[in-house]
Amino acid sequence: MVATKAADINKLVDHLFRHESGKMVAVLTRLLGFDNLETAHDIVQDTLLKAMTAWSFGNVPENPAAWLYHVAKNKAIDFLRREKSFRKFGVQFVQQQDARIAADAHIQNLFLENEIQDSQLRMMFPCCHPLIPQESQIALALKTLCGMGVHEIAQAFITSDDTITKRIYRAKEKIRNEKIKLEVPASALLTQRLHTVLHTLYLLFNEGYNSSHTDNLIREDLCEDAMRLCHLLIQNPVTNLPVAKALLALMCFQSSRLQSRMDDNGNIITLKYQDRTTWNRHLIQKGFDYLDEAAEGNHFSTYHLEAGIASLHAAAPSFERTDWKGVYHLYEILYSLKPSPVIALNKAIASAYAVSMQTALDALHQIKGLEKHHLWYATLGEICLGLNKKEEARNYFQKALGLTVSKSEQQLLHDKISNCN
Amino acid sequence: MEKFMFIFQGNVTGVKPSPEEMQANMGKWMAWIGELQASGKYDSGEPLMLGGKLISGSNKMVTDGPYVEGKEIVGGYFIVNATDYNEAVELAKGYPDFDQGGSVQIRQIMKMDM
Repeated sequence: MVATKAADINKLVDHLFRHESGKMVAVLTRLLGFDNLETAHDIVQDTLLKAMTAWSFGNVPENPAAWLYHVAKNKAIDFLRREKSFRKFGVQFVQQQDARIAADAHIQNLFLENEIQDSQLRMMFPCCHPLIPQESQIALALKTLCGMGVHEIAQAFITSDDTITKRIYRAKEKIRNEKIKLEVPASALLTQRLHTVLHTLYLLFNEGYNSSHTDNLIREDLCEDAMRLCHLLIQNPVTNLPVAKALLALMCFQSSRLQSRMDDNGNIITLKYQDRTTWNRHLIQKGFDYLDEAAEGNHFSTYHLEAGIASLHAAAPSFERTDWKGVYHLYEILYSLKPSPVIALNKAIASAYAVSMQTALDALHQIKGLEKHHLWYATLGEICLGLNKKEEARNYFQKALGLTVSKSEQQLLHDKISNCN
Repeated sequence: MEKFMFIFQGNVTGVKPSPEEMQANMGKWMAWIGELQASGKYDSGEPLMLGGKLISGSNKMVTDGPYVEGKEIVGGYFIVNATDYNEAVELAKGYPDFDQGGSVQIRQIMKMDM
């Protein structure tokens, strides 16, 4: 009897199952074809169940990931044998007399580290296909690429399990009906398709970063997953384009502040009051490195601008000593490229410090489309407070209070209201 | 010190746990075993694979099985050291799968007193 060591727990890195699940689903789907995505998921489920049972009683293997791949690979081979498609399958890949050996060799190769990455990359493109509705893309990406369960995705998006199941179903249906292929598109299409992939990762990251979710861990997981997938794009020469680096730079800058945005009681700390010494210096440095690299070539994207803005905040010694003129300027260009009310809101905030409070107030009044958004009212309140219009400020904060469900934001607004007396 | 067998039954539910949930569950098992070992209560234990064979009757008929209901499936066992049933019961309360519909059967191992 091999004794269990408590140290066995330490051999398993956080999220090992979830991350390896994403990798294995990608490899198996590439092996079995997209038609068998469900089978790939089932094989991974069985593999992890087997690991859970065996490892729970101790005896965690030296290389847990390799153990998982070994089991998953054998289960996949069993499946192909059962399907009687093994011979045909082997011939399809390698012109060799013995199709079985060829197929075996092919399967072995797919489980090599660089091929696993390649499979994940291939998987990203159908998951983030422009024909699939945006919300379905994100749900499918989280399930297949990040190994998240339906319930976990539903929790992250504060919706029901049923809704997420339907979104994933719709995505799979599209992939089937439109015969969407599991591959990195050829160079002519690559830029356009990569844009959709990046947009999905951007939304995924923002969901984690901006969500009013009370559970910090869920939010961090979403951010981390978006960064992991973005990093995967950077590591492949085909998708390692400046625009992808710009997005990764943005994610690095933003996530450097993730830990500083909430106090011990779960209350939000706004940029102005954050303890800048708690910002993650390593991530900020990464952000600057990627932003430098993203400047190569002549392609310029909204991610470049957003990363640029984030870099100015990251470089500022304090809120007051931020290069607000620079921030405001970048928001002006960003707004001209992407005229959304939220960007208009941020532009207005920057103008308060770059130009004047009155400029900001005028700009805020002109924004249309945020009438149900608590941030618009909260910002109006903030600017009014800056102009010493306490009565108006209080009214705006009250309105904002009625529009947010987030406990930490409610607390923040209560504090603001008491400042209006 | 007496020896007791913990027989773990029926943590096999129809619900598919997510990878994260599986890893979390595994962490609880390891922590539990770790605790039992640290206090010298743990003797041994093995998980059991699903399925099996059943031999019965005077003609020794072999069938696949035992096909029993999910809540009766034995998933594994421990042998632990405890002074009496009271202590064994307390130790078994650390079993991580009660929430998943699992249960623990406790049986004392017979000593041959000569």
